[in-house]
Amino acid sequence: MPQPRFDRLSERLLHAGIAPRHVRRYARELGDHFDDLVREERAAGAARELAETRALSRLGNDDALAGAMLSRPELRSLTSRYPWAVFGIAPLVIPLLSAVVALYFEIWFITHVHGLFTYLTGQPPGPVTAKLATRVFTAYNTLAVYVVPLLFAWAFAWLGARQRMAPAWIVTGVALICVLGGFQELVFYDKGYVGGGVLSFQSGLLYFAPRTGWLYSPHPHFVAEFARAAMNLAIAGGVWWWFTARKKTSSAMRLHTARM
Amino acid sequence: MATNPSFMNGVPELLILRTLEAGEMYGYELVQAIRTKTNQAISLGEGVVYPALHALERESMLKSRRKLVNGRTRVYYSVTRKGEKHLAGLVRHWQHITGAIGLAIGGTAHAATAL
Repeated sequence: MPQPRFDRLSERLLHAGIAPRHVRRYARELGDHFDDLVREERAAGAARELAETRALSRLGNDDALAGAMLSRPELRSLTSRYPWAVFGIAPLVIPLLSAVVALYFEIWFITHVHGLFTYLTGQPPGPVTAKLATRVFTAYNTLAVYVVPLLFAWAFAWLGARQRMAPAWIVTGVALICVLGGFQELVFYDKGYVGGGVLSFQSGLLYFAPRTGWLYSPHPHFVAEFARAAMNLAIAGGVWWWFTARKKTSSAMRLHTARM
Repeated sequence: MATNPSFMNGVPELLILRTLEAGEMYGYELVQAIRTKTNQAISLGEGVVYPALHALERESMLKSRRKLVNGRTRVYYSVTRKGEKHLAGLVRHWQHITGAIGLAIGGTAHAATAL
């Protein structure tokens, strides 16, 4: 199977915005079709080389194969059709949604555990249980605000690289996630008495200060959040640089091996 | 015969749906069946059938499944109920066109029955 030929075609289609799943399947189906054609030509008496040449000719040239796919805009991915939505709007919404989901889970968990504890012991949880819950949820919240934005940043980078998007789109999406995710805060503490607990979600970028009445004023944890956003950007940039360097090295190695 | 692409709009879909009506097939099988059915009158690069298959599947007119045959995984395509309805419309449309062309060139309106 002339795999490099379909690799080039695949790259061309991905750059033109065809959805990766269609590109992968197209290349695989063309490869199988090519094998079948070679077998047919060989059965008809053609030598291997001639059979392959005839098979390629019957399959269609690169322009025809690419053109057939590109003439169907419905096979383009959402990422390539609406890059502004995927890399511009989704990164604004996703950190907020992920925080809401994390909060919802905490509320659900606290309500059920509180109910179960009361049912089993006949009395509501006291200060000791509240202290334990505060520790557990502080760890959970730390994980949510430190790790989740980086996971989403990785997901956006993967999505963009998979579709061969322009680096500017990928960088925009990743940077938005890193900054917005970095400024998010999830806070939980419980002192063990009614009215002594707090569960909140805050963003240093959308902080409403009741005292001043301004929509925005510096968040109490602004410096820490700024540092976290910078750290997210540094990690994402570092990983990007490492992957790019690795890719360049492996391409150079392949070229060197091919020349030897 | 070389075929004018602009005049071929809708033809690959018609041929694919009509051929798959007989039963599920994978790409190579399908192309050979179309070649036989059209007496090799329609000449297209064989690879260009796949985008049409993908598009038809996306519109739920075809469904596909992977099947292991002689140690190789093949993607088999078959027509759905929606595809059958669409095919009936396409056939009527093309019968109308071929009939009209038959009349225009001075023959009789019977050409479409060959499909």
